[in-house]
Amino acid sequence: MSAVAEQTAWYVYGVVESSFASTLEARVVEEGELAAVVDVVPLAVFGEQALEEHLNDRAWLETHARAHQEVLQEISLAGPVVPFRFGTIYHESDDVRGMLRARETELTTALARVRGRVEIGVKAWAGPPPVQPARAPATGRAYLEQRLGAQERVRAASAQLAETARDSHLRLLSCAVEGVANRPQPRELTGRDEAMILNGAYLVADVEPIRHEIERLSADYEAQGISFELTGPWPPYNFVDEGGEQ
Amino acid sequence: MSVLERPRLEEQVTLVELVDRVLHKGVTLTGDIVLSVADVDLVYVGLRVILASVSTLERLEGEAAG
Repeated sequence: MSAVAEQTAWYVYGVVESSFASTLEARVVEEGELAAVVDVVPLAVFGEQALEEHLNDRAWLETHARAHQEVLQEISLAGPVVPFRFGTIYHESDDVRGMLRARETELTTALARVRGRVEIGVKAWAGPPPVQPARAPATGRAYLEQRLGAQERVRAASAQLAETARDSHLRLLSCAVEGVANRPQPRELTGRDEAMILNGAYLVADVEPIRHEIERLSADYEAQGISFELTGPWPPYNFVDEGGEQ
Repeated sequence: MSVLERPRLEEQVTLVELVDRVLHKGVTLTGDIVLSVADVDLVYVGLRVILASVSTLERLEGEAAG
């Protein structure tokens, strides 16, 4: 092994208030009223080039994305935290302090926004459409009519799913302080037969009302083959960034 | 990673769920180190990793079935 000390960098998980930071066991870098929750990480792993390679390694990504989530999860259960995106890394603790100074206003606003609230994820899934009994068309005209009818049914079903997703999102929003309907994940990612029609995130002060609304939605849309799934509570990933870096 | 124990979500968090939040959301600041990775776009990187693993999985399942 080399005698040279291992080169390290400062990985930022998120930001909390300094007063809350003192109650955490996690390592923090404080600057005024704000504190970044950090870890010192080896550059050999989190350096620019190493990181880029690692991000294409599924096992590495899963381990480290999970670690990022778990650190933030633990903190968010105890108090307000502004989650940072995975892989925000600075050379020195002074650079972290500089970031806290430069972003003080946005970070303070974000902390106020999420204080006393949690993020709930809700997904709605649509089962496969019912199969129409196939009848052999007697004539060319009947064949065409059958084809057009099938196309019309597909259009109608698709419009109905869109309306179901819209209605569900609005009803969930009524139980939340804020909400966002993210792009549904494609089947290639979910690996499920059902189609995801709603991929919502909701910022709530109390989980019970939205939980009840999910039960009502499930009952209302069960006949249409729609099911609902709640995840969380999560750290408020979806409610801290206004369009990224300025 | 530190003192923190593994907390329990209501259900097992899948990699897709993780990527959806941990890599796609949160405050997006460009730190010192990650500059080039930020350029690559983590969103794309994360999805590419999963898509790659899904297709590998399907291929393996296909071979097992065939």
